[in-house]
Amino acid sequence: MDFTLSNEQRSWQMTARKFAEGKVRPISLARDAIPTAAETWDWDIIRKGSQLGFRTLAVPKEWGGHGADFVSQALVMAEIARADSAISKAFSQNWKWSHLISASCTEEQKRRFLPDFIADDTFVLGKGITEPGAGSDNRLPPDDPKAGLKLKAERRGDEWILNGEKAFIANAPVGKLFFIDARTDSGVPLKQGTTMFLVPRDTPGFRIGKVFNKSGWRFYQNGEMIFENARVPHANVVGEVNGATRKSGGQGGDTTGGDLFGDLELAANALGICDDACESALRHARTATQGGQPLFAQQNVQLTINRMYMLTEALRAFVLRVAWEHDMKIHSPNAGLAMNFSSDAVQEVAELYMEVRGLDGAHMDPHADKLVRDSIIWTHLAADSVQRMKVARRIGR
Amino acid sequence: MYNLHLTPEQIEIRDTVRDFAMREVRPVVLKSDRLDLRDRTLPTQLLDEASQMGLRALALSDAAGGSGADHLTCCLVAEELAAADADFAAVLAETAWLAHLLFDQAMTDAQREKHLPKFLDDHRCHLAFAGYEASVDTHLGVNYHRPAQADAVPTTTAVKAAGGEWVINGTKDWVANAPIAGLFAVLVQMPGRHAPGVLLVPAGTAGLEVRAHDKPWRHGASGAVTFRDCKVPAESLLKDETTALLTGAAAAGRGIPLAQAINVGIARAAYEAALDYARLRVQGGRPIIEHQAIAAKLADVAIRLEVARVAVWSAAWASDHPEAFADRSLPDLPLQTVAQVFVSETVYHAVKDAAELFGAMGVMRDMPLQKYVHDALVCLHGAESNGDARLRIAEGLAGYRRTAAQATAAE
Repeated sequence: MDFTLSNEQRSWQMTARKFAEGKVRPISLARDAIPTAAETWDWDIIRKGSQLGFRTLAVPKEWGGHGADFVSQALVMAEIARADSAISKAFSQNWKWSHLISASCTEEQKRRFLPDFIADDTFVLGKGITEPGAGSDNRLPPDDPKAGLKLKAERRGDEWILNGEKAFIANAPVGKLFFIDARTDSGVPLKQGTTMFLVPRDTPGFRIGKVFNKSGWRFYQNGEMIFENARVPHANVVGEVNGATRKSGGQGGDTTGGDLFGDLELAANALGICDDACESALRHARTATQGGQPLFAQQNVQLTINRMYMLTEALRAFVLRVAWEHDMKIHSPNAGLAMNFSSDAVQEVAELYMEVRGLDGAHMDPHADKLVRDSIIWTHLAADSVQRMKVARRIGR
Repeated sequence: MYNLHLTPEQIEIRDTVRDFAMREVRPVVLKSDRLDLRDRTLPTQLLDEASQMGLRALALSDAAGGSGADHLTCCLVAEELAAADADFAAVLAETAWLAHLLFDQAMTDAQREKHLPKFLDDHRCHLAFAGYEASVDTHLGVNYHRPAQADAVPTTTAVKAAGGEWVINGTKDWVANAPIAGLFAVLVQMPGRHAPGVLLVPAGTAGLEVRAHDKPWRHGASGAVTFRDCKVPAESLLKDETTALLTGAAAAGRGIPLAQAINVGIARAAYEAALDYARLRVQGGRPIIEHQAIAAKLADVAIRLEVARVAVWSAAWASDHPEAFADRSLPDLPLQTVAQVFVSETVYHAVKDAAELFGAMGVMRDMPLQKYVHDALVCLHGAESNGDARLRIAEGLAGYRRTAAQATAAE
């Protein structure tokens, strides 16, 4: 057992911490407070972070990225999330899909897309799976061919014609390149009839609809995608036709792109919120007074602080272990469990922070309010029944 | 004679209010452009309609022109209204409670003659009690089982001027209904008197300034009220027992659990939305209610909702029947405070579970579930934290009795 970080891991952590404290935290609450969902994004912070390597952190070095290992990725996600969870996610969302490019794209596709992605500080990636009528059915697909995503792709010569829509797609309003899952055989179950396409933003017949107005993760943009006879070249098929779920999922092959990285991502990001909540709660408990004494003098407050730190340190241990297992290429359901646990931990820790803060006059402290709203986002991404059963099935397999 | 039957009148008024809340109020408050917390405004016209139905004067005695509803009935109504909108319910509950207390109990005949007609005639005349002061530091966390360290008397004062009128100076905070009140009952310290007194101050009185809270963490409309040499006639002083009426029962943890009934209403709205959605939404080839995982979660929400309601009804019935404590039918516990802690925590849990069923739609500002989650969170963080509420209960268990003045100021 050795919990020491390597010099490189430590270096990424420190760079991220400096960026987070110096550049991200100062804009966090103001961005969160912007009432219009479409206006919360800030290209300036994306550029600054990109120049430090946070957009392309996961791209292998031979393609011009930083090739950071999973432990470094987890550390960076947690450090940036400590200052703003949504901004951290805006960066790491690119890692998720650059993992996928590395794992699943052909050399020709890499040559076409990776150099632009590396060179352009505002080149952001996304992936479209969810549709208005298909959420859980994409995550735990039943055998019924009618269930699951409906976006249709039909082959015409060297092109595929896409029709349909996607909903809640992360980075849709700001992204330049998207991975899109579409049905290429509607007569068979989702798993056997879905193909993944690379769809650049300027694809004819493809446009972005509304930006969803979320209560938490305000900075991070989720949008609608509309495909009306969108024309995608056959050369943009990722992997094999009807092979989408084999490329992004945890079924054998790729164990670090798509799902499994996403599991670590949510857990590591939650750790950042927990760290922020713990530090903020402790600072408040030491400085705010009641009856002339610091809050920390109260047994109730001590017990609350204890629970917050206990959950946070348990999450940290779990996150780093999962990151290490990814680096060691150890296959296990632990990433999924860490993701499920991170939802429980981050929500309780944020809620306890809110309890320690209490009301400031007639208002809740906007920072505590933000952390609770951000933490509630975890439910549907990391720990609803479907996400928990999905992990259970990995265990039971 | 244990009996959980509602009277025919209670069932009738509950059903009438439910119908009004669902048909009239819910469609208005759940319009997507007002679901965002930043855009919330009180639906004034609906409040007028509610007043015309008698809900503003629900608890006021028949003799005075009201409906004479008991505390349990008021809680039934509060839940029904809150199932449509917590803010809406909070405004009416506050006015209805104060109308009974002030007009039926605290006023002399002369005072009633002066103020009651205006209250009955004006559907927009709401009532407010200005008691709380931010500067009075009585958090139980610092003085559990010990006398309060701070001087626990209100700093808002009223002195007699040469002309016989009272001159009020000071600031009150957290005043429910302040921005819409036509009449204020103000807790003041009076020189030469041991216990604080309560003065009536009509809205618009010179020297009275109301500052509405912007998006406060409290349901209804609340604000801070400042008095600067605010003069009211000598006959504005309410009966001596008014202070105890306004603050005594709540301080003893045996007040009317109206806020808790509203909290239950929030849970019911979330539960009903989740139940409807679970029947309609098809994933995995069947309505999601037919999946075990969703079914168990819905059952859990229903369990929490029902047991929370039982806690409210029990506290409400107890406040209608204080003699049931004396004859040992009820446990020697502050049942309203018990309900406050249990209901707020249970409902928050239930509402989050209900929101989970909606997936991403559960966190969208133009959808109802995020409103319910926020509303439940507001109930978790009242002027008195649940931590302090637990200590208040514990003082009772430990046999520690606060003096009346300490208990009053803690409210």
